[in-house]
Amino acid sequence: MTTPSSQRRTIWWIAAGMLALLLGISLTTRASAGQPAQETEKYCLSCHGNPDLHMTLPSGETLSLYVSQDVIKDSVHSPLGIECEACHTNLSTYPHPAVEYQNKRELSRALYQACQKCHSENYKKAQDSMHAQAATAGNAEAPVCTDCHGAHDVKIPDQPRSLISETCSQCHTDIVNTYKQSVHGEALLANNPDVPVCTDCHGVHNIQDPRTAQFRVQSPELCAGCHANKELMAKYGLNADVYDIYKRSWHGVDISVYKARWPTIQHSSAVCTDCHGIHDIRKADDPNSHVNPTNLLATCQKCHPAAGPNWTDAWTGHNQISLERTPFLYYVNTFYTSLTPLVLWACILYVALQIIRAIVDRVRNSLP
Amino acid sequence: MTAKQKTPTIIQHKSFPRFDLGQRWEHLLLILSGLVLLLTGLPQKYPSLAISQDILSTPEQVNLIRQVHHIAALVLTLELLYHLGRAIVLLVRRKLPGDMLPTWQDVLDAWQMLQYLLFLRKDKPRFGKYNFEQKVTYWFLFFGFGIMTFTGFIIWFPVQVTQVLPGGVVPAAKLAHSTESIVAAIFILVWHIYHVHFERLNLSMFTGRLSEEEMQAYHAKEYERLTGKKNQPGEKS
Repeated sequence: MTTPSSQRRTIWWIAAGMLALLLGISLTTRASAGQPAQETEKYCLSCHGNPDLHMTLPSGETLSLYVSQDVIKDSVHSPLGIECEACHTNLSTYPHPAVEYQNKRELSRALYQACQKCHSENYKKAQDSMHAQAATAGNAEAPVCTDCHGAHDVKIPDQPRSLISETCSQCHTDIVNTYKQSVHGEALLANNPDVPVCTDCHGVHNIQDPRTAQFRVQSPELCAGCHANKELMAKYGLNADVYDIYKRSWHGVDISVYKARWPTIQHSSAVCTDCHGIHDIRKADDPNSHVNPTNLLATCQKCHPAAGPNWTDAWTGHNQISLERTPFLYYVNTFYTSLTPLVLWACILYVALQIIRAIVDRVRNSLP
Repeated sequence: MTAKQKTPTIIQHKSFPRFDLGQRWEHLLLILSGLVLLLTGLPQKYPSLAISQDILSTPEQVNLIRQVHHIAALVLTLELLYHLGRAIVLLVRRKLPGDMLPTWQDVLDAWQMLQYLLFLRKDKPRFGKYNFEQKVTYWFLFFGFGIMTFTGFIIWFPVQVTQVLPGGVVPAAKLAHSTESIVAAIFILVWHIYHVHFERLNLSMFTGRLSEEEMQAYHAKEYERLTGKKNQPGEKS
């Protein structure tokens, strides 16, 4: 039983309600400005949720167009409201514009550029990296953001921390396998948070070529980052003086000279990794370590081919001078820290007394 | 003819031979090689200083500096071998003068000199041909240069040396070589330079001779031995 007046009232209520809703929507949109408005996921998945959806690229490769709801839910982006269109900026309409990419790789290399919308800092760093240089040199397989971080399944990259080396091992498999058997890699797999993973030494986004002279000449500082840290080394019963003693050693002095004025010149003075290994660093008491007493001579002979069995004792092993370990050095050091200064000071004192006496005599003679 | 009989009054400065030509050449070689060794060694010992880095500014420069150091080292080594060889030959012929050997008299002289310097004594002791200061100079540098030559060859040829000697001598030689160089440099600068340039200008190592006055004042015993004359009383020393 509706009268025209009650109908009119209802229309007014609906109109007012719609106005309020519009106002509300416009306000919330404004409040979340900067974040892309996201309501696309459900809409996109209505087609792309089909596991059989695919297309064939001009190269003949089959490109699956399926996106799993579960994968998206587990990524870092979707729960934050960053949905399909945030990255696939050109796919806001249906039917979609034609796919211009010849093959899958070309598609990846084009789509990852969307990352810079939000992650501009890291994106810029990555453009200066060794990987970007490899791409510029024509290697299309050189990794882009999504190769390491994933695309629809982007996750926090260091949880757990061993995930980082797993990521690198997608391409650098042999090196990571070697690393896993090193003292650092073994500890990492045992959930030790202190040991370096790939990125601690190589950097994260701006990874540089580690084969350059510059990297080499700076590499001891890289090791010193942890190995000169007294607290950290004490935790493992390791000597934190190793870097300081190295710097005073023959090799270390050489390196300091190179580093000072000509860091880009290739040279052969030993840095940490030349003796200890790079990805295969082991404890010195491990029989497989390059610096284990049984292997040390062979390691020295890489640079000093004529060295004989006595040679390894010429290396003080990063240890402070001690009577037990380095007796010759101990006696020479004792001689020069006790007797010699005594003799030298006696001479200086004697000359000083002579000067005083000479001045006093001269003054006395000039007096009437 | 009569004019000839008039003898003009000539003031005769009598002088005494002190160092022969060979000894003076040896000293000159020591100065030159020692100075070159010091100047090319210092940048290697203190590579973190800006001036060292200027000198060692390229790999070629480092090589050059090392080569110059090695050449000067060879000159010094030959000089030391000559010095020792000459001493041995003279010793065998029983002609080696013992003036430079330390004696108990030097200890007494040093003690008296110390008393003099502390105003506990009026006069300096009377010295022979070489006083104890000069003997200290000779022996300090004899052993200093000996240590540096010995250790220098160890760190020049470490691989060959450790075929025979234990490896531990290499870092020990490096420490000794670099520390001894500084010790010797300080010693020469303070002790030797004071005694031959500031206490008095003593150029006998270049001229080869000492004047009569110098002999009387500083080497009274030697003067006495050579001339049979006592040092004139009242002569201030």
